[in-house]
Amino acid sequence: MAAVEAGTAFALQARGIRKSFGGVEVLHGVDLDADGGSVVALLGENGAGKSTLVKIIAGDYTADSGTVVVDGVEHHALDPRLARDLGVAIIMQEFQDAPTLTVAENISLGRLPGRVGLVDWAAVRQRARHILGQLEVDINPDVRVASLRVGERQIVEIARALSGEARLLILDEPTAALSHHEAEILFHFIRRLRRQGVAIVYITHRLDEVSEIADRVQVLRDGSTALLAKVTEVTRRDMIQAMIGRRMAEVARPPAPEHDIGAQPALRWIDASLTRVFESVSLDVKPGEVVALYGKLGSGAVEVAETAYGLRRLTAGRLEMDSEVVAIGSPVSAIARGVGFLPADRKAGGAFMVRSVGENVAVASWPVLARMGMIRDEVEATAYRRWRDRLSIRARNSSKQLMATLSGGNQQKVLLARWLERQSRALVLIEPTRGVDVGARGDIYAALRRLAATGMAMLVVTSDYEEAVQIADRAYVMAKGQIVAELRGDAITTTQLLEAAGG
Amino acid sequence: MTEDQAAADDGRAAGVPPAAPPADQAPVRVRMPIKLPETAALLGVLVVLIAFFSLTSPFFLRFDNIVNILQNVAVIGIIACPATLLLISGQFDLSVGSAAGFVGMLMAVAAADPETTRVPFALGLPIWGAVIVALLGAAFVGLINAFAVTVVGINALITTLGTLAIFRGLTKVLGDGQTIRIQGFGELGVVRPLLDIPLPVYLFALVVILFWFIQRYTIYGRSMYAIGASPVAARLAGIRTKRAIFIGFMLSAGLVALAGLIRLSQVGGASVNTGIGFELAVVTAVVLGGASLAGGRGTILGTIIAVFIVGVLGNGLIQLRVPSFWIEVAGGLLLLGAVAFDQLRIRLAPAN
Repeated sequence: MAAVEAGTAFALQARGIRKSFGGVEVLHGVDLDADGGSVVALLGENGAGKSTLVKIIAGDYTADSGTVVVDGVEHHALDPRLARDLGVAIIMQEFQDAPTLTVAENISLGRLPGRVGLVDWAAVRQRARHILGQLEVDINPDVRVASLRVGERQIVEIARALSGEARLLILDEPTAALSHHEAEILFHFIRRLRRQGVAIVYITHRLDEVSEIADRVQVLRDGSTALLAKVTEVTRRDMIQAMIGRRMAEVARPPAPEHDIGAQPALRWIDASLTRVFESVSLDVKPGEVVALYGKLGSGAVEVAETAYGLRRLTAGRLEMDSEVVAIGSPVSAIARGVGFLPADRKAGGAFMVRSVGENVAVASWPVLARMGMIRDEVEATAYRRWRDRLSIRARNSSKQLMATLSGGNQQKVLLARWLERQSRALVLIEPTRGVDVGARGDIYAALRRLAATGMAMLVVTSDYEEAVQIADRAYVMAKGQIVAELRGDAITTTQLLEAAGG
Repeated sequence: MTEDQAAADDGRAAGVPPAAPPADQAPVRVRMPIKLPETAALLGVLVVLIAFFSLTSPFFLRFDNIVNILQNVAVIGIIACPATLLLISGQFDLSVGSAAGFVGMLMAVAAADPETTRVPFALGLPIWGAVIVALLGAAFVGLINAFAVTVVGINALITTLGTLAIFRGLTKVLGDGQTIRIQGFGELGVVRPLLDIPLPVYLFALVVILFWFIQRYTIYGRSMYAIGASPVAARLAGIRTKRAIFIGFMLSAGLVALAGLIRLSQVGGASVNTGIGFELAVVTAVVLGGASLAGGRGTILGTIIAVFIVGVLGNGLIQLRVPSFWIEVAGGLLLLGAVAFDQLRIRLAPAN
């Protein structure tokens, strides 16, 4: 393939890369080396600067300062076209494909071969067959990409990247959405490409992948390199330490609850399964308790929680609420059972942005607040005021102001108020502080702890281990559709969570 | 570190600056609901139009002409009320015109005497029997639209574009392409119970009050706003979204039937062309009145003023002897203008 024919060993050195967004420097002069025939694993937490760094190398962003040297030629500013001409191909976290088009079309996307404006379909198919053959995969070039499995789509993306003159392949968390088996296939490709002399930069935060695939590991933390070593020379713990640094100790535990924890679980899953999503999950949440369900994207954690709210149905096992087996088929029946739900996507699934805060608080309680089927504004205003101070919602006193005018954190508090107004006894929260600024995050944690003290049962699903540490009385760790650990009290630490989840 | 732990002790998360006063009021372009000034602006447009036509046409302000405008406004306005409710929830009903024609034709045919007319489906029913047939027809109209949109899940625009053609075609089948006269059905559309103003105007006022009340005070009305603002969030908040939209289409069909029967009574017969263009007038009025194509916003009051604007404009242009072809062009332009204004409104609204 093109990568092989390129011949000379590829060498890229990024030097002293700095980049700021809105006055905040996110990369403080970072170096990165990528050499043909070797794999660099780029590790780091969210916000460490990994994606920014590789996007600069791919020409998507322009560095504020620093240079990129490719095959001895120094470049101060790359653009996507120049980067592509230099042989840099990047595969982003989110698919950049056109799912309604065929595999062959996707591979030639933006570079359809043709004559006098007519597509040369034979050439399109030929190119696709050639490259898929090189990759030794059995994907029909004539099927629509939308009909492929996620792992296959990823491979089509790689095929597209390689069908150009790719000599450096950058993969940004390619396995985030892949099953274990699909990830294995991907690793197989990566090894092949490495043998063929392609340089590979592999972004991940799964530590187990590093030793499996990489030659070198580079850890970024807060925009600087925290560790740079050969994979054989570092331990897993070194990498975790480098990723989270001093903050490992900074993430403090909440005090042990002084109130009583109920004996009977409010929510309890027993050997619960959902085909191909999670298997034999058993977990419980008691009244007065904050339980974290920690798992990465694709671990099945979100899906487990969604079964409590009628958004998915178990295919095996059972769900109990207050020691009673329940069949929750819809949000309506979950709400009737006293369960409240805060979705991860606050804007699309939680808040009514163009409606007032009063309505946003009252909506789930309308049937309760109504007098003869009628809702008066005063009732909603009272409901809003009831919770505004208790949850320290920073907004004006008027219940009429639009939800969209509040900050993300305060919107989240309004949504919390919705379920308090509804007198929910159990709350399921998915990524409750995603996109919430630090100050409001503290408020929300404090509010959740206080609510637990009133006897509410809280299940917080999170992919942020610090969040789990900061909030939970008890934490379950999920990976690959199963619960792999249960931690209690001060045993909930970032290290424990990361190790249990497989890095 | 100790500070952080102290912070943790009072139940706050650590890693959080103890006193973190971030700019908590989001720096989005905050614009409060434009309801009041917007309604005022609409009212201003209406006043200007009326003033303009009064000055340019000697006939415009004559009582007969005013009644004429009111008659037309009543028919369109009665349909526009449920249409506002539907658009607030993010749905459309384009089939209103042909459904109104269909229901009217159904009644006319049901009442037609099979002995004396040559209509194939004439039943010769008494008026009350024919009204029942018409109402059954309205239920059929509502069920088809509601079923296709909520159960089958077809986009409302496409569904009602399809049913628009279906009902128009059925109207032609029923009437065998002719105009069917109806006797003894003058009460609904023609009677003037008070102040020499026809009954439909009073019915229109009742419908307005009813829908204003529904939207303002009932759980159902509020749910429609929530559904339009975010269907997913509405479902997650425990609103039965499909049921609400189903009811919305049924309400639309019910009021369309009322409008269709009024028109039948006014004209004294059902033509295969009755109701053509209603959908344009209704959608124009609803959007002009402030209901957003993005859902979640809209008021009955705005719609009503806009219905008058549409009615006055149409009538005034006729008074000025503008050729009807050009009036049609003006109607289309008004719709585009209203939608363009709505797009502007969506773009300026706080980012979400």
